[in-house]
Amino acid sequence: MTTLQTSTPLAIEPLDLPARPAASPARAALRQFLRSPSGVIGLCLLIVLVLGTAVGPILYPVDPLDLVGGPFTPPSADAWLGTDYLGRDVLAGLIYGGRATLTVGAVAALITIAIGLTVGALSGFFGGAVDAILVKLTEFFQILPPLLFAMVLVTLFGQKLTTITLAIGAVSWTSAARLTRAEFMRLRNLDFVKAARTAGAGNAHLILRVLLPNALPPVIVSATLAIGVAILFEGGLSFLGLGDPNVMSWGLMLGQNRNYVLDAWWAVTFPGAAIFLAVLAISLVGDGINDAANPRLRRRT
Amino acid sequence: MGALLQVESLNVGLRNGAGVVVPVIENLSFEVHSGRTTALVGESGCGKSMTALAIMRLLPEDFVITGGRIVLEGEDILSLSPKRMRALRGNGMSMIFQEPMTALNPLFTVGDQIAEVLRWHQGLSASAAHAQAVEFLRAVQIPALEQRVNAYPHQLSGGMRQRVMIAMALAGRPKLLIADEPTTALDVTVQAQIFDLLAKLQQDTGTAVLLITHDLGAVAELADDVLVLYAGRCIESGASADLVGHPRHPYTRGLLGCVPHLKLGQRMPAVWSDLGEIAGMVPPLGARGADCAFLARCRDASDVCRSRPQPMLEPIETDHAVSCWRKSEIAA
Ligand SMILES: Nc1ncnc2c1ncn2[C@@H]1O[C@H](COP(=O)(O)OP(=O)(O)O)[C@@H](O)[C@H]1O
Ligand code: SF4
Ligand SMILES: [Mg+2]
Repeated sequence: MTTLQTSTPLAIEPLDLPARPAASPARAALRQFLRSPSGVIGLCLLIVLVLGTAVGPILYPVDPLDLVGGPFTPPSADAWLGTDYLGRDVLAGLIYGGRATLTVGAVAALITIAIGLTVGALSGFFGGAVDAILVKLTEFFQILPPLLFAMVLVTLFGQKLTTITLAIGAVSWTSAARLTRAEFMRLRNLDFVKAARTAGAGNAHLILRVLLPNALPPVIVSATLAIGVAILFEGGLSFLGLGDPNVMSWGLMLGQNRNYVLDAWWAVTFPGAAIFLAVLAISLVGDGINDAANPRLRRRT
Repeated sequence: MGALLQVESLNVGLRNGAGVVVPVIENLSFEVHSGRTTALVGESGCGKSMTALAIMRLLPEDFVITGGRIVLEGEDILSLSPKRMRALRGNGMSMIFQEPMTALNPLFTVGDQIAEVLRWHQGLSASAAHAQAVEFLRAVQIPALEQRVNAYPHQLSGGMRQRVMIAMALAGRPKLLIADEPTTALDVTVQAQIFDLLAKLQQDTGTAVLLITHDLGAVAELADDVLVLYAGRCIESGASADLVGHPRHPYTRGLLGCVPHLKLGQRMPAVWSDLGEIAGMVPPLGARGADCAFLARCRDASDVCRSRPQPMLEPIETDHAVSCWRKSEIAA
């Protein structure tokens, strides 16, 4: 039995490197995203909306809270999209209101994901008693009707944009937490997690560098969609008269003008359309990210 | 010379749905010495992986160590703090897994993954760790390593990935390397290469190896000592040449009967009973009685076996112990 001596030096396997240099998984996903039609359309739409609210004030310098003419002026050369029930410019409202609405959406989604990721990651990673407690906490928040709960929070802490943003974040993190927990539980039994453990990885490394990056794709999709949900939420709260009256937003425009929809369709339709387009754009982007994150799913369809 | 790893009467159980702990591993004892290889063989489900994970103290949830001691270099593993245990993993002992396809993090380059281990255990800077990672890839004989160090796992073949796994497991300079069926998932030619590599690295580093394998050819060539596990019980153990040359337990004889010509890289079929050598299956967890676990499948079983409990693992000669009531008759 002398195979060992005779067979070292080893036979070398043929090279199996691709011609192109290694693309990082993130770069590959980006390339995939740019190949998805819905993702690209959504992204373009979103860029237009964000750019509009960013540079709009330069091109159309009108204060959205100023009374620029009589109430219910139809679209005209003076006020391109007409005026609302107080005589405020609707286009200026769309531009400035978009800033507030999109910011609320993005920040509330960030809060949602931050809480959801933390709770879900700890729950799924440690399991046992930690998991039991965090699952109870999640369930507690989950059974509260979100809109009602948010209304209570806003009523308690004041109708300010920051309160509204925090309230939206506070009521919508549960699904992100459950998603993250499920991903962590699936991943933590995989061989590469065990291998990292046997090589001496600490908990922080396992959570942040091993599990989190691998759990991220579905969470990113849900984060994207959370922006859309937060925008709808802000609209809903404003519609119910719980918006911040001092900051123009699309939701506030809808809420304040809804009684006059038959007299001045423009004061309701334009902000409504803006919300619709923003949510649509975000859903399309979410779709594109989903395609990019799950290449196997994509190939099947 | 004292043993590097001593496992003494290890008992592992699985807590089932009803809260009852059923035995998975019973009274397992063995030693692994520096620079030497101890092999653990047996059919699937015999408890080989659980033995390995118990030593790493990484048993899955619901598995509990119900008795025994595991001592690594004088330290009782089972009573260490989680912190000390973490420091030992990678540095005192580390492990390679069966599936090279899934044992590497898909989102990081292989160089990064090895460098990370170097940084934990040697406190190297990022660039020094990266440079050393290249050296480790060279040590596991990866060709074109300047490119491969920056490759992602999915860009490598199974054999290459297993080499990377080995590099990662050795990066902490462990004193004990546990290899859990390191070649089962690989092509036959690649299997032989990986075994050769393990043997060479062991020569260079003096690492103790606990080799779990189906490959009795590899056992004959690589292992110094062998333990044969059946249904969580060690039923035969001894020096590898002696045990493979003169198996005494009916189960071991059946196993070896399945290997017509012992050759490195020869692979056992997944279902051994297919060969008709050993009919039947390993009794499942919870269905293992007090009598000889192999009774139902044993061709040599007699009334002696049916009327008495599982025989003790008793020496039949120096360095060769068998757990069988009829060991003397079979030896003759
Ligand atoms: N995660 C698990 N949950 C419950 N039982 C398990 C689990 N993993 C393994 N087992 C059982 O534990 C026993 C020992 O398994 P294992 O050590 O993996 O066997 P081997 O590695 O020898 O094939 C087997 O009966 C198997 O069915
Ligand atoms: S004790 Fe009896 S049944 Fe068990 S292996 Fe020996 S001969 Fe077979
Ligand atoms: Mg196994």
